Amino acid sequence: MNKDDSKANKKVEKRTIDIVHQGLAKRYRAEGRFKFYGLAAIVMSLLCLAILFISIVGNGYKAFRQTYVELEVFFDPAILDHENLSAANYSGLVKSTLRKMFPEVKGRSEKRELYKLVSPGAAFQLRKMVLKDPEIIGRSISVWVPADDDVDMLIKGYFSTDAAENARRLSDKQLAWIEQLREQGKVKKKFNTTFFTAGDSREPELAGIWGAAVGSFFALLVTLLLSFPIGVAAAVYLEEFAPKNRWTDLIEVNINNLAAVPSIVFGLLGLAVFLNFFGFPRSAPLVGGMVLSLMTLPIIIIASRAALQSVPPSIREGALGVGASKMQMVVHHVLPLALPGMLTGTIIGMARALGETAPLLMIGMVAFIVDIPRGFTDPATVLPVQIYLWADSPERAFVERTSAAIMVLLAFLMLMNAAAIVLRKKFEKRW
Amino acid sequence: MVRKTVLLVAALVFVFVASTGVVNAQSARDYINIVGSSTVYPFATVVAEQFGKTTRFKTPKIESTGSGGGFKLFCAGVGVEYPDITNASRRIKESEFEKCRQNGVNEIVEVKIGYDGIVLANSKKAKPMKISRKDIFLALAKNVPDPKGGERLVGNPYRTWKDVNRSLPNIKIEVLGPPPTSGTRDAFVELVMEEAAKSYPWIKTMDKKAFKEVAHTIREDGAYIEAGENDNLIVQKLDANPKAFGIFGFSFLDQNGDRIQGSFVDGVQPTFEAIASGEYPVSRPLFFYVKKAHIGVIPGMEGYLNEFTSEKTWGPEGYLADKGLIPMPDAERMKYRADVSKLRVLTALNNQ
Amino acid sequence: MVFALLPKKSPNRDGGEVEIEKDLRVEDMEATPSGQDGPVLVSRENRQTVGVGTVENPRMTCRNVDIYYGDNHAIKNVSLDIGRNEVIAMIGPSGCGKSTFLRCLNRMNDTIEGCRITGEITLDGINIYDPKIDVVPLRAQVGMVFQKPNPFPKSIYDNIAYGPKIHGLKGSKSALDEIVETSLKKAGLWNEVKDRLDKPGTGLSGGQQQRLCIARTIAVNPEVILMDEPCSALDPIATAVIEDLIDELREQYTIVIVTHSMQQASRVSQRTAYFHLGDLIEIGPTEVIFTNPRHELTQDYITGRFG
Repeated sequence: MNKDDSKANKKVEKRTIDIVHQGLAKRYRAEGRFKFYGLAAIVMSLLCLAILFISIVGNGYKAFRQTYVELEVFFDPAILDHENLSAANYSGLVKSTLRKMFPEVKGRSEKRELYKLVSPGAAFQLRKMVLKDPEIIGRSISVWVPADDDVDMLIKGYFSTDAAENARRLSDKQLAWIEQLREQGKVKKKFNTTFFTAGDSREPELAGIWGAAVGSFFALLVTLLLSFPIGVAAAVYLEEFAPKNRWTDLIEVNINNLAAVPSIVFGLLGLAVFLNFFGFPRSAPLVGGMVLSLMTLPIIIIASRAALQSVPPSIREGALGVGASKMQMVVHHVLPLALPGMLTGTIIGMARALGETAPLLMIGMVAFIVDIPRGFTDPATVLPVQIYLWADSPERAFVERTSAAIMVLLAFLMLMNAAAIVLRKKFEKRW
Repeated sequence: MVRKTVLLVAALVFVFVASTGVVNAQSARDYINIVGSSTVYPFATVVAEQFGKTTRFKTPKIESTGSGGGFKLFCAGVGVEYPDITNASRRIKESEFEKCRQNGVNEIVEVKIGYDGIVLANSKKAKPMKISRKDIFLALAKNVPDPKGGERLVGNPYRTWKDVNRSLPNIKIEVLGPPPTSGTRDAFVELVMEEAAKSYPWIKTMDKKAFKEVAHTIREDGAYIEAGENDNLIVQKLDANPKAFGIFGFSFLDQNGDRIQGSFVDGVQPTFEAIASGEYPVSRPLFFYVKKAHIGVIPGMEGYLNEFTSEKTWGPEGYLADKGLIPMPDAERMKYRADVSKLRVLTALNNQ
Repeated sequence: MVFALLPKKSPNRDGGEVEIEKDLRVEDMEATPSGQDGPVLVSRENRQTVGVGTVENPRMTCRNVDIYYGDNHAIKNVSLDIGRNEVIAMIGPSGCGKSTFLRCLNRMNDTIEGCRITGEITLDGINIYDPKIDVVPLRAQVGMVFQKPNPFPKSIYDNIAYGPKIHGLKGSKSALDEIVETSLKKAGLWNEVKDRLDKPGTGLSGGQQQRLCIARTIAVNPEVILMDEPCSALDPIATAVIEDLIDELREQYTIVIVTHSMQQASRVSQRTAYFHLGDLIEIGPTEVIFTNPRHELTQDYITGRFG
């Protein structure tokens, strides 16, 4: 008994440090486990991101190069009537050029197959050349014209030539011609400038994202001009001036709810208010921007309020202490300090707006638009909509262009987020 | 704050100016506004692009709103803020026609542009399937006639194609297809499911609602997978899974002929020729409707109609055929071209 | 003017009349130096103010001031005067309400939601809680230095020039330069920062920052400067510098200082007010409070029995 007691006493004496030592290993294990989970979570998400990027880049990188075919074009004065150059038969010019290159091709269907080797864009290209410089009529010039999308796919290795001829987009004859052109060095992959300078097209080799990028730019400009001042003003009022009562609580709850409303709802609102009530035009970046600003407003307000709250009260007191009015305190001290946070929130909101398609569907911005928009009311589409439209196109060459467009969109998003970080670093002041 | 106020005022002024600009833009729209079916979209866009690039007119704007959504916009009224043309993967309905009239859209020109086939396709790695519409109905409907006989419906008991019909392969039923919002789904239900359901006399004689219930309800136990509106995705999945089948428009089969093949339906394989001749049963006509009041008001309308109805566009050798549109027979094309040039107005729906 | 308000107050629960008389008697004996157990102390239960809260020709007067934070009665019926060119220290244990009281002297409490004040506070005879009074000029007259140095995240120059700028005191650039220079000189910071006026004020050391804040306050040329534990975040050397500065500033300004440090109160102030749980317990000349407190609570505090 006594022994036990003394033992127990001894135990009691040593207890604290013993228990500390006992528990120590467990604590470190728990810490290690936690670290491991955290690391695993990060590795997982990085892995997913990597898979996403690899699949997108893997699918899309080839779209930045396009197959071109060299044609020896004789600008035949017989075809090109000096009187009416803009309406001349340029596709006839392309066809005659092709016939000259393959004189052995006879028969109507065979000729049709031959003509399909180059893109319909070739005719537009020649038209442009002639209109720019009519002097070239009567001369022979070698021109690189875009190949048809099927040829492009073949050159890039997407087509298996094993399939039966009638199941392929390219016949055996066409394959032979392409091989012949290749041996002559008249098929080449070049950087796809069209992709970055053209609007949408139903011919993959002529389709570009510039139209959508311009549309996105206009829409986002409207969004920024509307949502930033309104959002900041609302946040400043709510945070600095509004009395704290049930009404402001209600407003706050509703703003938070608004941030979680599915974006399609804003599209419906835009349709009902901007289009049906105010009669704004469909498909216009102006309306798109307005709808998107409805969506980004709550984000900006919430971020701005958080930024205002993070300004230390000591700065406010300091300003009030020397006799600044509330307005002066806010404008001279609180706003400059909150601005980086507000800008970050704004840019994140804008980045979200940049990636949005659903609300634009309702106001008609999901549309086939070839011409580059020149203003806020011209019909336009935006980058994510362009991606959506291309993803749904049957032509196989649009698959890689879809991925390429996603890459461009991601690049823009990264650029915007980087801008958010840079702005934050630049304007951030310590107190 | 001054800076902020200036910004705010600038924004408001900007919106004001922009909206006055809007009114101007509205009063003088210089491009054709087209809405409508997503099935016609890939064809109409090609025509629009060709038209825009070869004439001095702007390229028409084409929205893919679905046939129903297209009619809703189209029939809303006459004036520059309303669409000029709507595409449709079906004829205009009586109710839509009525709505158009109510809103003052009295003169509509109907143009049929060709046919689209709906195919059941699988990977080339597997054998092509020979199937009847009835088999498809039995494989995909939620409730089917009791296989033990009797005139009653039971929950779909079939697990494999062989269960449905002994001549079919012994693989699990797995079909990727469009969701109910899609026009392709509407056409599939109408052309396959309804037709097959009608082959049972006791189902055919059901009242309209009950019949629709039977014919339009697709099973939800995983055998039919709604793959979203993206047909390219279905093609990719079929390529990866040779046991699966997909339902989509012919143009996707046409573009991916090296990877997928169409199943024989009622003994006919979906080829360009078979659909054009009307042999292949699952095909539907495609249309567009023109607001006559806008011709001469919106620049380029005549040109667009002319481009669409010329032989180099919709003929058997035309560029729409390259994109997968099945052209109409010569006589029908001639008729519609004549209709367009005379701007023959649709007076009543049965008057065809 | 004799402080005659207190005796008129209603009697205490435990016979306050008598003790107040005692108190008055003690006051009479004020001049005689007395030891620890000399005079009879006012008992802890008595919450009436002991000592004379009034001065001749006061700058500010506070009469029957009650402050509430919602339901919480933070300051109970405090009356005292703040004289000209004096340093008055407010001491007391944490939560006694001394900072709260200080902040009502230039209506800084206005910014706090649910804060309510009754009674009267005047500056040069004008009630500062009069609805017609604008807080902006009031705060220009009654400046404030805070516990934690809070220079604006701007240059040293802009920190000082800010007040004069918003009040329109700047005549020209050179006039503004002069204000900045004199303010910094008064705050004893000129020599340390004159070569880096365009550097951020936040880059200074803690003590320098606090002096910068003092310079910022005096740049608008106030009449009263409120200091809320200005040295609590500073090391002893910086504290000593600030204390010397307070002593110098007394010649031109009235200074009200809240402090936790009794030594500091005894070093810098002429008068001291002791607060306890919202009551002004004792007020009087600093030496008296520290050497000869007449209230048991005061004695408890200065002898370190609690605090």
